[in-house]
Amino acid sequence: MHPVARLVSRNLTISLNPGFLIWQIIFPLVYIFVAGFAYSALIPEIELGGARLDYPTFLATGMIGFNIMNSTLVSGIIIWNDRRHGMFEQILCGPFTRTHYILSNICTIAIVGLASAFLIVLVGSPIFAGSVELQPMTAPLIIFAAVVGSVLFGSIASIISTRLRSSEGFNVIINTVFLFFAFVSTAFYPAQGAPEPLATAFYLNPLTYLVDVIRAGLFGTVDALAIYEMLALLAMASGLFALATKLITRLDL
Amino acid sequence: MRCIRAGSLSKSYGPKAAVDRLDLDVECGQVFGFLGPNGAGKSTCIKMFTTLLRPSSGSLEVLGIDALREPLRVRSRIGVVLQQPSYEPTLSVEKSLDKYGMMWGVPAAERRRRASDLISEFGLEGARRVRNEDLSIGQRRRVQVAREFMHDMDLLFLDEPTVGMDPQARRGLMDYLRRRVSDGLTILYTTHVLSEVEYLCDTIAVVNGGRLVTTDTPESLRGRYGGLKTITIRVAGPPGSLERASMPGCLTDAEEGTVTIKSDSPEGMLSGALRALAAEGLQIEDIAVAPASLEDAFIRMVDDAPRS
Repeated sequence: MHPVARLVSRNLTISLNPGFLIWQIIFPLVYIFVAGFAYSALIPEIELGGARLDYPTFLATGMIGFNIMNSTLVSGIIIWNDRRHGMFEQILCGPFTRTHYILSNICTIAIVGLASAFLIVLVGSPIFAGSVELQPMTAPLIIFAAVVGSVLFGSIASIISTRLRSSEGFNVIINTVFLFFAFVSTAFYPAQGAPEPLATAFYLNPLTYLVDVIRAGLFGTVDALAIYEMLALLAMASGLFALATKLITRLDL
Repeated sequence: MRCIRAGSLSKSYGPKAAVDRLDLDVECGQVFGFLGPNGAGKSTCIKMFTTLLRPSSGSLEVLGIDALREPLRVRSRIGVVLQQPSYEPTLSVEKSLDKYGMMWGVPAAERRRRASDLISEFGLEGARRVRNEDLSIGQRRRVQVAREFMHDMDLLFLDEPTVGMDPQARRGLMDYLRRRVSDGLTILYTTHVLSEVEYLCDTIAVVNGGRLVTTDTPESLRGRYGGLKTITIRVAGPPGSLERASMPGCLTDAEEGTVTIKSDSPEGMLSGALRALAAEGLQIEDIAVAPASLEDAFIRMVDDAPRS
């Protein structure tokens, strides 16, 4: 087995504990089936690139992106734990390079991100299956969004984990940043109708691009904006990944 | 064959030299003690030997491989137990051994066999399914050392491996390491516990201020630097008789009833003292011989070494 594959196997073993899996399933389920139907009286219908969606459908598809983002916390947690518990140095004393370590983290979050997307598609499909417009680009777009989104948010989590040593600092910062991403985005509600500057702030947030691309893939509403959003996602993911790699490479031993 | 060959090896952090032109040869098939006071540069050396740190200058061969050009090849043939703890907090002892073996590419069946043997060898049967984060410090250290034997290696670096271990576990580890060395393993061993060095090490290098002070066997170092042997004789007899005994060069303490001889060859003085004590009718209750200690030798070596 390649060294990266061995590290990915190790990463998955230490990350996929019952608590994390429950968090990844229960949390979105509550949003989709409780908040989705509870808020449908307040938000009866949403227009999306010509398609009209009810709120539970809108929210369930937003939860795919939200869950991808949440799952990438794994990346930051792995790096932070490895540094705190001495495994970062120990791994680099073994038959691995820093490049192996970084690539294994990216592969891990891509796998976890794809699995998370699949999970929400699975549990949310009773809600949105009727509105889905399956096209040849549907699956590639969702896979693109899951992988690029994982790399993007995984890089953010990794950057934070390389800068902070205390558990309190790490938890406060990472939860605050990800809370901002979650709620200042179109994952939970549409941008149209939101007051300024909130509506503008939605489009400064990569999670907005991620869920927009996923929805465009699922509902067949790929337009110029969706393509720009894909390019923006790709550019941000590349830049943040380069920065995260640089910071991990420079970590003191 | 030489396992480590360092030539004028240096590591600087800004203007400060942590390791300064260190020359060192470590022969294979032995336990090599690597000693020095705190801040002497031992851990920096180990990080360079294990390729975690790149030297500022000098040459370094580990197991015949140029460690500066091919660090990954070196790392695939060595084992390292660093000074600081390292563990996967949420994994059980058994699982962490298994995963560590997997990381080194050991086949699953072999991993199961080795993990079972090591759990038994390191007295971890009762903790087999306990998560690492719930272990005591000593148990966690035992897991950390045991884990390194999950994979094959030619050279093992142990940086203060017995920290937190109880005496029984410590002795068990020493004996296990001796057996592994007799099977062909080479160990570079760092500790501040000199009784461990005396029990385990074939050769010792002492570093201070980033420089090599000396390299020799423990016996030779004790002889060269250990100072005087001490013989203490405890006697009983009539009051005043100890003061009357003629024993040139011996220290007497009439209140305690002891005679102390300090010399690098005290045997001749001992026989004279015993005759003098017998002549005064004193009875010998106990004779204690304290050889020149490695600890004395170490302190003297470090104190005498030129400061960098």
